[in-house]
Order: sequence, then C-alpha cells, then structure tokens
Amino acid sequence: MTYNLEEKLSALYDGELDANEVDGILDMLEKDVSLQKKLSQYALVSSSVNNSNNIQSIATKKKPVNYGFWFSNAITAAATVLLTFVAINQLEFSRMGEDISAKNQLNIAMSSKEAKDIVSKTEENLVDHVMHVINNPDLDNATPYDIDLRNVGYNRLSSNGRKFNKGDKNFILRIEKKNLGINKVRYWRHGDKIIHIVPLADGRVVTIYGNIDAQSAIKVANSIGK
Amino acid sequence: MNNNSNNDDFLLIEKAQNGHEGAFNFLMTKYYPRVYASLYSYTKSREDSEDLTQQTFIKVWQQIKTFRGDSAFFTWVYRIAINLAKNHFVSSASKKDKLNISSTDLDFEFTTFTNPESDLMHDQSLIKIKSFIDQLPESLKTAFTLRESDGKSYEEIALITNTPIGTVRSRIFRARENILNFISKELGDDV
Repeated sequence: MTYNLEEKLSALYDGELDANEVDGILDMLEKDVSLQKKLSQYALVSSSVNNSNNIQSIATKKKPVNYGFWFSNAITAAATVLLTFVAINQLEFSRMGEDISAKNQLNIAMSSKEAKDIVSKTEENLVDHVMHVINNPDLDNATPYDIDLRNVGYNRLSSNGRKFNKGDKNFILRIEKKNLGINKVRYWRHGDKIIHIVPLADGRVVTIYGNIDAQSAIKVANSIGK
Repeated sequence: MNNNSNNDDFLLIEKAQNGHEGAFNFLMTKYYPRVYASLYSYTKSREDSEDLTQQTFIKVWQQIKTFRGDSAFFTWVYRIAINLAKNHFVSSASKKDKLNISSTDLDFEFTTFTNPESDLMHDQSLIKIKSFIDQLPESLKTAFTLRESDGKSYEEIALITNTPIGTVRSRIFRARENILNFISKELGDDV
C-alpha cells in the first residue's frame, strides 16, 4: 500500500476525492485487506473523536465488529461467488488473522486449544453450508416437504418444494438437523438476497435464503421451532 | 439524489444506489462504529446494539435507493437504526426472538466488555487519544479538528487556514496516521 493510496483513501473517507479516482480506490479496497483495515481505523478514530462521551467508540474497536465487511471478498475469491458478509462477530475476524488486538481478545475469550479448534471448525462448516445453499439451492434431502408456514403468512410456491412467499418476500427454506455450531442468528448477503441462518433451541438450524428481512426470517424460523 | 445536499458521501451513495457493493461496504465500514455507538447509547446492551446495527445496515442496503439526500446520510441511517431499536423494545416478540442457547454451547462473548473496569480502561484510552490530538502539530491538529469535529470541507479548511487544498488533504491524512500510530504504539490492546 503506498502513501499516496492511503492519502486518497483518507480523502475518499472525507468525500473529497476526485470523482474519477473513486472507482480506482474502491477496486483497490476490494483486493487490499490492509486498506480495508485502514478504512476501519479511520472510522474508529472519527467515532472516538465524535463520541467522546461514549466509551463504545473504542469498545467497538476492541470488539472488531466492523472489520468483517470485506471478509466476503476472501470468500469470493475462494468460491468465485460474490458473497458479502453482513453479520459480524469475533469469529469471522479471527479468520482474517491480521489484528493482534483481536487475536488477544480471542485468546482471552477462548480458554483452551480445544475451543479454538471448535471455532475454526465451526467457521469452516458455516462457510461450506452457505456456499452449498448458494450453489445448490434445490439440493436438499433433509428438509421436509410438508412445512406449513401459513401461520406466519407465507404460502408455498410449489407443491414439492421449500420455496415460500408473501407479497414481495420470497425465500427458500432449509432445516439442518446438524448443529452448525452457531449460537446466534447470522446474516449473509448474496447479491440482492440475504441468507439467514437461525439456530433453534432444539439444536436444528434453519436457513432462509431469499428476499426477506431479518425480523421476518427469525419469525419464520421460530414458527418452525415451536 | 440531491447532490447539493450536505452529503460528503454523495458519490459513494450514488454508486451504492446503483448496486455497487464496494461503495456500500465503504459506507457501512465508515458508519458502523457511529451507528453501533448510537445504538448502545439507546439500548445499553452490547448484544442488542450489535444485532440492531447489523439489521440497520441490512435495511440501509435494502432502502438505499430511497435516500434522496434531503438530510445527511448518517442522519438517515441513524433514523433507521433508532426506529429499529424502538421496534425492538416495543415488540414483546423481540424477547421471544432471543434464542435459547444450551449451556453446553461455547459462549464467545467477551465478558470483559461488560466489566466496569474495562469500560473505565476504554474511557481512559479515549482521554489519552484526545490528549494526543491536542499535542499534534498545530497545522495538523487544526486541519483534523476542523474536518472531524466541525465537519468542514477541505475547501472551507483551506480558506480558514489559508493553505492550498492539497495541503489540507495531506495534513488531515498525516494527522490520522499519527493518531493511528499513537493508538497502536502507546495504547496497544487498551483500545
């Protein structure tokens, strides 16, 4: 990363970069993780300066929720699918393997090597699952065909499928019996669709892939979990 | 979108409205900490703030084409965030949405973040950062403060400080770099 490039990033951050240079910087950002990190840091400095009474501006840095936005690009490169990561937490960041502070936090949070191994495995499983959902949306031998979502207002689009809709919301639903190792709802974006992965209390995982907002997806998942 | 409005992010917003994901990522990265901090002020819950921040940016992405530039972009995003937060608390169902997690599941929440001592540490870090900014060379501090705290454009700063715009741009960048170096070297894991 050159000094000049960073200065341009700073200018773009302030909305002061020449229009004909914006695309170039955005293209570089897609590829350059260190530039992405720099952008995050600029945001944190702004936040700390402008929210001096709020400790969260710094706590947010410590808890690296904002570092994962460009995580998608690593996956994209690996899987040749445009997949943008939206839900951020510490686990995703651990995969980026570049922030000492975050690594230290992970070390604190995870009390054993076994825990680290589980985290790593969980992430691999999760990415595999998401890629499978995107690449093979109709390949699903586990989800029952008779799921009825009319109690939450959704109609099945086909008699032998798992596609549902209500108004302009439509999605494919999957239920995995295996626990993917997540304990909170995760969101991913793929093009104009969202992938919601919702863990149920009984250990199953509901995946909802389509044009549907998070709250509605959780409502659908919970109706299945009842 | 009204490009005469007070939107520094006009170009990025316009690109995001046309489906440019990189531009949206930029905006999201830029505003994530501020949205999170705002939501934390509102919810006083890290978990809720994190979830609501994620939901906010999903909604922003879904609705960004409706942003007309009548207000600052952050104001518009903030409005979405606060409405989500209000709905979150108003809806009793939101409580039901919190999924039961088996005690055998790993909990990777960083409990230190809920520790008052930790909060105090961060608070002190903020004081250190502000103190460092105060000690920056006058030219850097002036340019940076006019930009970050007062929201002045480069052109306005150039007029105020009687320096070329290119110099303003360079000073703001160097101020940021100095602050980041300070954070990295002096505060380390405190931030």
